[in-house]
Amino acid sequence: MTGLAQFVTAVVMYGSLFSVLTLSLNVQYARGGMINFGTVAYFAAGAYAYAIVTQAPPSGLDQYLVGLDQPWWLGVIAAGLVSMAFAVLTGWPTLRLRGEYLALTTFAFAEMLNSLLVNERRIGNGTVGLANVERPDAALFGLSEDVVYAGAAFLLMLLTALAYRRLLASPYGRAVDAIRDDETAAQAIGKDVSGLRFQVFVITALPIGIAGALYAMITTLVNPQLFSAEVTFFVWIALVLGGERTLVGVIIGTLALVGFQEPIRAIPFESVRAAEIAAAAEDVVTGILFILILRWQPFEALSRRRQAA
Amino acid sequence: MPGHRESTGRSAASRRGRTRLTLLAQYALTGVVTGCFLILATIGFSLTRQVEGFLNIAHAEMLGVSAFITWGLNAAAGWHIVPSAVTAIIATAFVGLFIGRAVYDPIRRMGPAVVLIASVGVAYVIAGLMHMIVGTGIRTLDIPLATSYRAFGLRITNYQMIVVALAALSSVSLALFLNRTKTGLAIRAMASNPELAASRGIDVRQTSRATWLLSSGLAGLSGVMLALVATLSTDIAFGQILQILAVAILAGLGSLYSVIVAGLIVGIAMDVSVFFIPAGYRPLIAFAVVIIALVLRPEGLSMKRAS
Repeated sequence: MTGLAQFVTAVVMYGSLFSVLTLSLNVQYARGGMINFGTVAYFAAGAYAYAIVTQAPPSGLDQYLVGLDQPWWLGVIAAGLVSMAFAVLTGWPTLRLRGEYLALTTFAFAEMLNSLLVNERRIGNGTVGLANVERPDAALFGLSEDVVYAGAAFLLMLLTALAYRRLLASPYGRAVDAIRDDETAAQAIGKDVSGLRFQVFVITALPIGIAGALYAMITTLVNPQLFSAEVTFFVWIALVLGGERTLVGVIIGTLALVGFQEPIRAIPFESVRAAEIAAAAEDVVTGILFILILRWQPFEALSRRRQAA
Repeated sequence: MPGHRESTGRSAASRRGRTRLTLLAQYALTGVVTGCFLILATIGFSLTRQVEGFLNIAHAEMLGVSAFITWGLNAAAGWHIVPSAVTAIIATAFVGLFIGRAVYDPIRRMGPAVVLIASVGVAYVIAGLMHMIVGTGIRTLDIPLATSYRAFGLRITNYQMIVVALAALSSVSLALFLNRTKTGLAIRAMASNPELAASRGIDVRQTSRATWLLSSGLAGLSGVMLALVATLSTDIAFGQILQILAVAILAGLGSLYSVIVAGLIVGIAMDVSVFFIPAGYRPLIAFAVVIIALVLRPEGLSMKRAS
């Protein structure tokens, strides 16, 4: 495969995958009014659930306790369910908190999960993680595996977007909007405010968990380092980049961010120090972009203009 | 001689019991030092939260900025530690003021969530710059090795004592500043009701400038402490923000005094936990305390309700 084709595949693959997260976050934030700063936790829960369900029972130096050795599709289902279960567990005590307090608690939960995965070796070998995660043989129609996985990620993103679209266009979605716009009024006309918020939180965890499973298949490795707070920040940056109101904008924002980061990662470096500087420069540029976008909101203005026209 | 053996066994057991107790006390003492550091780090964060109205995630990076300016002047340029630290604190205060003016002020009207997210961007930029300039790896200051003092079987180093003393000193002077001086009272007025403060003739811009200088200066001071007692590396700041957040949530939107109590609780809880469970869980304990506190008391330690 040529360099360009490889690059496009990588962008589509990771871009679509993270778009699932951004889309879910968008529903939680722009529609549900919930600031979830712990997105990575649901992603990690899905990935680990998938890995544990499909992994062979421990042997040799393995420190993990459970490996169920089940087929991949069962792993995907488990990933979705575990992610939702984690959302129930974390949403129940925290969703009555508002705004930034919710942001902080979800952030705290994500950090706690990460710390648990590092310290509790019986879950997934601690920092070493679970390697050689089972992945279905994806060499369909003579296409390379990467292309098929990129297609799968794209399909997942499409399904997620369509499902959210349907959900939010329904009376249910209007009830969710009503709560965001005026909680007291929504309550006055008999909407179960806390119940609806909780439901949105749990429902949106499902695609995040499945994306986690797909991520585990693609990388064939899960370890705590892959699921640090950086993922959460990345998704938030993508969300802000794309403007928070439209689903298409969200997807474009994520693809743009991945497209911007992939080339930097692909450059071969002569020395460790050079790679280090490049990685740091990537952070600096991402941060500056982030600040500038928040300051002038060009994409938001663009979508407003399109709506007005 | 079974009797004899038994008696030595008992005394060994009691000695072991005593050493375990001493160890626990030692952890608690270290916890107090950690708590004192956290108090100073959180007061600045909390001031920004109250006066500027948002959670400044980049606050912890300011600690790093100060710690590495100190390191640069002290270890790399060969200055004495005291002028390096003072320069670092002042420089950090102005860096904070600059960031406040250039980044946060223009977007304040978009609400606290947007500014919170922007501060993540700022944290990225600062962390990235530090990685570029300083690089990874562990750094040490060019200062004499710590001297340990012992009392009642407990150890404390002179640098740890400096941390505690500075925390006490700056808390007291901050309390005096906020209660006695005109600028301090203006800051408190802005914190409790910005509109009212503005309409009563308080210079909002000047007060906001004073707040940025003060909170970043405090970040600078805690950065110097970090450089004194902790292993210094460029990713040090990120770990601090988690603990600062924990203390800030626990303290709620309340006064200086609730930050002091919360800082000590989190510091002691984290360090004492090492006695019972693996040390890797230390940061987790900070948040476990917070989540328990939030579920039981969503308004924080102070009685004020979150807006």
